Amino acid sequence: MKILVTNEDLCVACYLCEEVCSHAWFKQVNRSKSSIRITALGNAEIGMAVCSQCGECIDVCPTGAISRDKIGVVRIDKKLCVGCLSCVGFCPTLTMYYHDDYVEPFKCISCGICAKECPAGALSIETVEDAPVTVTERRK
Amino acid sequence: MIRVNDRWDIPWHEGMTVGDVLAACGFTHHYVAVSINGKLVPPVPHASGGPVPHASGGPAQHTQPVADGDHIQVIHIIGGG
Amino acid sequence: MPAPLITPQRMEALKAGHQVLAEFHYEPRPVDKGYAGQTLYVNVSDNTIAAKPVDDRMKHTFTGGRGFDLWLLWNAVTGKTRWDSSENEVVISAGPIGGTTQYPGTGKSIAAAISPLTGTVVDSNVGGYFGPLLKFAGFDAIEVQGIADREVIVFVDGNAGLVQIMTAPEESVNTYELAEEMVALFGKTPEEKRGVSSVTSGVGAGHSLIGCLNLSFYDIRRQVARLKQAGRGGIGTVLRHKKVKAVVVKWVGLKGDSLHPDDLPTMQQVGAKMHREIYERDPIMFTMRYDGTNHLTKVMNDYDILPVHNFQYGAHPEAVKIYSPEFVKFFSLGIPDGCWYGCTLACAKCAEGFEIYTGPHKGERVTVDGPEYETVAGIGANCGIWDAHAVLEANFYCDTYGIDTISFGTGLAFAMECYEAGILNKQITGGLELNFGNAGAMLEVLHQIGRGEGFGVTVGQGIRRMKQIFAEQVGADPKFLQDIGMECKGLEYSEYVTKESLAQQGGYGLANKGPQHDEAWLIFMDAVNNQIPTFEDKAEALHYFPMWRTFFGLNGLCKLPWNDVEPAANRVDYKGIQAAKVPEHVQNYVDLFRAITGRTDIQTGEDLVAMSEKVYNFQRLFNLKMGYGTREHDAIPYRSVGPVTNKEYESRAERYDKQLRELAGIDPDGMTTDQKRLALRRYREDQYEKLVDAVYKRRGWNEQGIPTLQKVRELGIDYPDVVTLVEKHS
Repeated sequence: MKILVTNEDLCVACYLCEEVCSHAWFKQVNRSKSSIRITALGNAEIGMAVCSQCGECIDVCPTGAISRDKIGVVRIDKKLCVGCLSCVGFCPTLTMYYHDDYVEPFKCISCGICAKECPAGALSIETVEDAPVTVTERRK
Repeated sequence: MIRVNDRWDIPWHEGMTVGDVLAACGFTHHYVAVSINGKLVPPVPHASGGPVPHASGGPAQHTQPVADGDHIQVIHIIGGG
Repeated sequence: MPAPLITPQRMEALKAGHQVLAEFHYEPRPVDKGYAGQTLYVNVSDNTIAAKPVDDRMKHTFTGGRGFDLWLLWNAVTGKTRWDSSENEVVISAGPIGGTTQYPGTGKSIAAAISPLTGTVVDSNVGGYFGPLLKFAGFDAIEVQGIADREVIVFVDGNAGLVQIMTAPEESVNTYELAEEMVALFGKTPEEKRGVSSVTSGVGAGHSLIGCLNLSFYDIRRQVARLKQAGRGGIGTVLRHKKVKAVVVKWVGLKGDSLHPDDLPTMQQVGAKMHREIYERDPIMFTMRYDGTNHLTKVMNDYDILPVHNFQYGAHPEAVKIYSPEFVKFFSLGIPDGCWYGCTLACAKCAEGFEIYTGPHKGERVTVDGPEYETVAGIGANCGIWDAHAVLEANFYCDTYGIDTISFGTGLAFAMECYEAGILNKQITGGLELNFGNAGAMLEVLHQIGRGEGFGVTVGQGIRRMKQIFAEQVGADPKFLQDIGMECKGLEYSEYVTKESLAQQGGYGLANKGPQHDEAWLIFMDAVNNQIPTFEDKAEALHYFPMWRTFFGLNGLCKLPWNDVEPAANRVDYKGIQAAKVPEHVQNYVDLFRAITGRTDIQTGEDLVAMSEKVYNFQRLFNLKMGYGTREHDAIPYRSVGPVTNKEYESRAERYDKQLRELAGIDPDGMTTDQKRLALRRYREDQYEKLVDAVYKRRGWNEQGIPTLQKVRELGIDYPDVVTLVEKHS
């Protein structure tokens, strides 16, 4: 499956990725609408939080709105989503995001735009082994 | 003598711990908040479901020692019906 | 394989039987700040259908849910209405917070009716999709009045703006098939299927007074209609008597802002926070997501509170055979389910391919919702049936036949003790050997209720009538029956042993509907934690908690997320009773209520309690209207207070002797068991009367337990007929 891989050692906390992400998907430069979050943690450490496509949210969704696409990326079908935000609460890495301008939450879908723009080469799209099959996927 | 919940008296012994008090009272419930003479016994630190650990709020440490004459409050955390 | 499969031929047969008797068209409009703004009235005698407006006074006095139910029912019945009178109604309502997706436990409804068991109003809490979908369809509540001359279903199409009463001769009466038939008939696509919810009962409800309602919610993964129950009080019996097979709502289009709340951001914020709290805390607290409510069985047994053999004892060495792991074995998928969207506490469980050993479905592999604690404790422990398969099979049949598992379990336990005591015998029971532990006999009693024949039908009449029947027809000692028959106000007790908790004796005895624990569950706070030692402490708890918990039933809320999970810092930031109230969660509910309704007059937890106090007192007065509602109806059977027999006394002799000495100031040395038992009884019965005095005082009621006129005016429920009623009794 295709995932966005982060390299904390290379990141310079310029936040450009957050700006291009929110602009690409919400037509605004607004870091609170970005699906990647950069945090300066102190001691020159940087946190880079983005969805790992683990798929745990697939089993938590009450409407079956969350599923994997052909390249293994976990996607939300906004037509089915009822905005309960269970996936936000149950994301192991807290990388399912929401903003009160929208009913549905949002997440990284491995589009790669931020990786292209990153000036420090700290982001890349890679193909990795598929995550374990969820109960929901097995049931289908 | 240890007084528990202002109701039961339990004989004290050398090296007695919170765990011993709970066993003597038959308190097998896994989640109790314990105070000794009004001071809360620290909870067992635990990690949450994912890789983001959080430090506070769990069942009381069973290894905390108790002294003769202590007043112990054992509050069972239980939602019930 | 979805089960049971509704074939195309079956569908054609069902449709062929449908004749529309009445139709009502309305303009579907969005919910406004939590309210649809009108209620639906359906009369199946004369086939009238109408919409009634909801005004501000109704919202501010009754809020919704139970409050709306009581108000509508109050205006529909007279003091002489019986459960089988035409004017009796089945009323169902969720409440303004009902239908929220962001916060867990926001899909509940309250069903109400004049009860066959108690003769006054009963309210029963239930999950499933019906209440919220009905609201989005355009109605804050539905009242079904009248008695149809042939079997009908009531169908509400919320997207089309259409209500129909139609004949339904071909549909199954029993829920297992009927709920699937409704989904198949009215839902084509998966999205439509989960937009269909039905209210159904079953044949058992028609042959007993302990009938329940089943409210469905469609399981998208298993592709079956799952079921939640409005169990208490025989409301299913009322629905069956009206010849209404089902009330069905269909509405598609749910979104996180379908309530059109005043403040969506707050709903999202408090909801996401709560989901995270459950993610982190449920695994170390009560494992609702994994075990469901049946996690309680082990704790109750460990603390001598699990009802065993008709509440004689509180524990049993074989109880381990019905602990949660024995049922988890049957559950499929391993994904916990919420009975409304966004409930991450997700206590609902489901067994698939469960093999049935007895009755009409013998040999079939069925889908059945996992048993609640009450079912395991009532049908299992209380009847001495330490058999998980038998309990789950009984659960299946109670659901499909439309029978309350609590009244069935507690009622059967009573019959079993009578059998063990020689009051009943095989001749009287028609061959049924009603010894504790006889799972086969238990299931046969259930099937007899289903068929409407045999001694089972007597059990299905409930304990109050069983006591009468046994005294009159087999010469049983009525005093002994009164002592061991665990009913109060005519309703069977739910499954907790209260002998060591005076507060819980009051929690049961003083509850408006009868001994259901949804008003107060104080056992641990009282008997184990010793946090409410004085009468005043207990009275304060018996004021606060019933009022607080009433709030849930007014608003479409489930109580589980309130205190079956707590924030990590709750016991650090708060102490004692304050911590037991879970202040951060109370604040969540204040925030949620305000965020949806936009009501700025609601600012604190006390304001929520004040909201509830109106409805709570109104219900007490409703009991008075129906000829009850006074002190003598709050009397409780001695089995709920202390040891009835010498055998019971001797089973816990050390405990009782100690209490005689330390609490009653009586030296038990040299006394016979008889004498000690009677001395303890006098002491404990006196304690209960003192508790009742203290609680009445705290609630603002007179010594007869009637709300005073001053209280009624304070609460703003001084409607003219309410004032007349109170003045008549002053």
